[in-house]
Amino acid sequence: MNVERRRKIMSSVALLLSSLAALIGLFWLVFILADVLINGIKGINLSLFLEDPAPPGMEGGGLRNAFVGQLLITGMATVIGVPLGVLGGTFLAEYARGRTISRIISIISDIMVSVPSIVVGTFVYAIMVKPLGHFNGWAGAVALAIIMIPVVLRTTEDMLSMVPWTLREAAFALGAPYYRVIIQVVYRGAATGILTGILLSIARVAGETAPLLFTSFNNSFFSWNMNEPVASLTVTIFQYAMGPYESWHTQAWAASLVITLFILFITILGRLILKWRFGR
Amino acid sequence: MTRGLKKNPVDFLFGTLTGIASLSVVVLIGGIFFALLIESIPAIERFGIIRFITTVDWDPVAEVFGAASTLYGTAVTTVLSLLFAIPVAIGIAIFITEIAPSFLKGPIGTAIELLAAIPSIIYGMWGLFTLAPIMEEYIEPFLQGSLGRVPLLGILFQGTPMGIDLFTASVILSIMIIPFTASVARDSFNLTPSIVKESAYAVGATKWEVVKDVVLPYSKLGVFGGVVLSLGRALGETMAVAFVLGNNHQITSSLFDAAATITVSLANEFTEADTDIYLSSLYYLALLLFVMSFITLAIAKLFLLRAERRYSR
Amino acid sequence: MDALEIEVKALNFYYGQVHALKEINLPVYKNRVTALIGPSGCGKTTLLRCFNRMHDLYPGNRYRGEIIFKGRNILADNIDLIDLRSRIGMVFQKPTPFPMSIFDNIAYGLKLRGIRRRSELSERVERALRHAALWDEVKDKLNESAYALSGGQQQRLVIARALAVEPEVLLFDEPTSALDPISTAKIEELAVELKKEVTIIIVTHNMQQAARISDWTGFLMLGELIEFDRTDKIFTSPSQKLTEDYITGRFG
Repeated sequence: MNVERRRKIMSSVALLLSSLAALIGLFWLVFILADVLINGIKGINLSLFLEDPAPPGMEGGGLRNAFVGQLLITGMATVIGVPLGVLGGTFLAEYARGRTISRIISIISDIMVSVPSIVVGTFVYAIMVKPLGHFNGWAGAVALAIIMIPVVLRTTEDMLSMVPWTLREAAFALGAPYYRVIIQVVYRGAATGILTGILLSIARVAGETAPLLFTSFNNSFFSWNMNEPVASLTVTIFQYAMGPYESWHTQAWAASLVITLFILFITILGRLILKWRFGR
Repeated sequence: MTRGLKKNPVDFLFGTLTGIASLSVVVLIGGIFFALLIESIPAIERFGIIRFITTVDWDPVAEVFGAASTLYGTAVTTVLSLLFAIPVAIGIAIFITEIAPSFLKGPIGTAIELLAAIPSIIYGMWGLFTLAPIMEEYIEPFLQGSLGRVPLLGILFQGTPMGIDLFTASVILSIMIIPFTASVARDSFNLTPSIVKESAYAVGATKWEVVKDVVLPYSKLGVFGGVVLSLGRALGETMAVAFVLGNNHQITSSLFDAAATITVSLANEFTEADTDIYLSSLYYLALLLFVMSFITLAIAKLFLLRAERRYSR
Repeated sequence: MDALEIEVKALNFYYGQVHALKEINLPVYKNRVTALIGPSGCGKTTLLRCFNRMHDLYPGNRYRGEIIFKGRNILADNIDLIDLRSRIGMVFQKPTPFPMSIFDNIAYGLKLRGIRRRSELSERVERALRHAALWDEVKDKLNESAYALSGGQQQRLVIARALAVEPEVLLFDEPTSALDPISTAKIEELAVELKKEVTIIIVTHNMQQAARISDWTGFLMLGELIEFDRTDKIFTSPSQKLTEDYITGRFG
């Protein structure tokens, strides 16, 4: 009986500790989000979105340049990265289905998803900034696209593999060539999943800072010109947070709040869609 | 069917296009390696391999560069963050798979994954403005007063606590990698067949004994893969530590000193490098980081694949 | 005369809203093999899993009624499940060796009970393996992984593991459904042999198996116990039309 008592106490203690671990996880989440919310909300006002930065040390001004720059870079990254990712995923799940090459590329993509993003930044610097002699927005977009491609590729592959093979057979039986089967039947069947994957990959790169530091760099002026340095929210946050001015810190918090809300919104939306579509 | 494929030129075109797109991943990963290698050549020629890795000095003025201090910072923050993160992450995975009532499983799983979705720059901001002061004011003095008095162990807690140091950086890093480890561990736990768990209960095991003797041994490959994956992430994380590490190229025994990691040096110095050898040395660091992460991630992938294969039988 | 070991009284069981067992009354006799048969989904496995309260592992399950074992209602809230499960062992549809060596698999339940002495462990592991007719096949590789054994050997290993803690009752849930005919014959032989020491309740979808090894048989359908009697009586002259239809293969 004594042994049994000890075992039960042991079990309760262990289970209590794991519940505690879950609480610790939740604690950090709430702590960080609440902190960003409390500090960020103070800096949220219309001029944040509508005005360009005031000269360093001066009060007022906003981050219009960074918001626009962020959209520009992320948008271009999506335009470059998504087609490559979706087509690449199509190759793995369709034309190369079950072949060794498909498995190899799949594994390399998984590794590439986790390659340090700052390394991608140094790579793009070497091929797009150094030769041109100056930082530019395109380099930032390419850096983010490089991070996006393996994510989109793997999601596409997974989503296409979930479309039942019989559906393709049915289309083949009608005499359709493979590319039509893919575009008209398979893509349609997997559309929700692929779109969600794209959404989540946008959320992933929208918060990236390290790859932009030496590619699109920063620009305190408003600019649409992707051949010039382009401001982004994340790099601005880094620069402002490390800077000496109180007003910079306030704006950095405000920008952090905006970007966090944006990313959490997309992430939760993506999860809800996946749950609704696949019940997981 | 195959003959039909070849006869249709559009199909051939589309197939080739997808093939090229998928090769882009291979081209990119190879391109990254070669670009970094080429850019590092001046530094490799000047400092060699062993000498670069073992030299502590990082002196842009004298143009002497060595990786030892940044490698040390990278190793300490990575190892320490794993030490902090693994127990919590495994606890979370046990909670979600074995303990939580079903109405809590989903929300808690999602909450933990949101932790992974928060951008690293936000961790950095929060670390600099909120966590570092708390560390400086309360936690580090407390550790110094307690563990700092223990012989031998005490050397880890010397100096004036400033909050901008290896310890704070490791704590932030650990919060960032908890979700990765936890979600891989959870997936591995879920691979344990419920009939095997039931048969342990049927011998009269307690819940903890089932987890310890059946679930953990059953999923150890997967959990190990998850830990290595997190190691890879921690190695390459930049912004979360860039704010709170101080970028000081030194090797110190105390966790309460500023330090530098490869990523932090790159983030802080890359745009300031004013000589070719300086930039090339930074590229050399990037190359080391790339190779280390690639190997780590490949090992993680290997373990995860083996775990998957073993249980899909 | 057969002595009563367990008595099921007016047992009802619910999976959430689903009423899975309805007013079951059933005696289980000591040192006899009791078979539970019936078409799939009839509740035979559900009933079996009531005896060691396996249903308690999952939320939303509810019992009503009583199962009397050793003078106590084992469905009561204050029953110690760990103690109960060490006295009523179970063998599952598929072999379920734990990820450890053959020796440790058998010793697992003993170690849980605080037995640490190597000599005692060895002795009891050997006894359990002999009981399960597996000793001669594994005595030279006790330290090898249990996964190295064949399916039939694994199932006997699991039986030995259950026997090692010396339970009074053993529950078999379709123990041969994943095995080849030769392994099946060995398990059946074993069950008949084992009843000298333990009471056995076996769920099977195989009527010949029930006829071959059991002394008593209960026939369930749609959550109700249609008929319970001596096995030879059930298989030769059942009193219920439904039982007869099932046994003669007219449905199921």
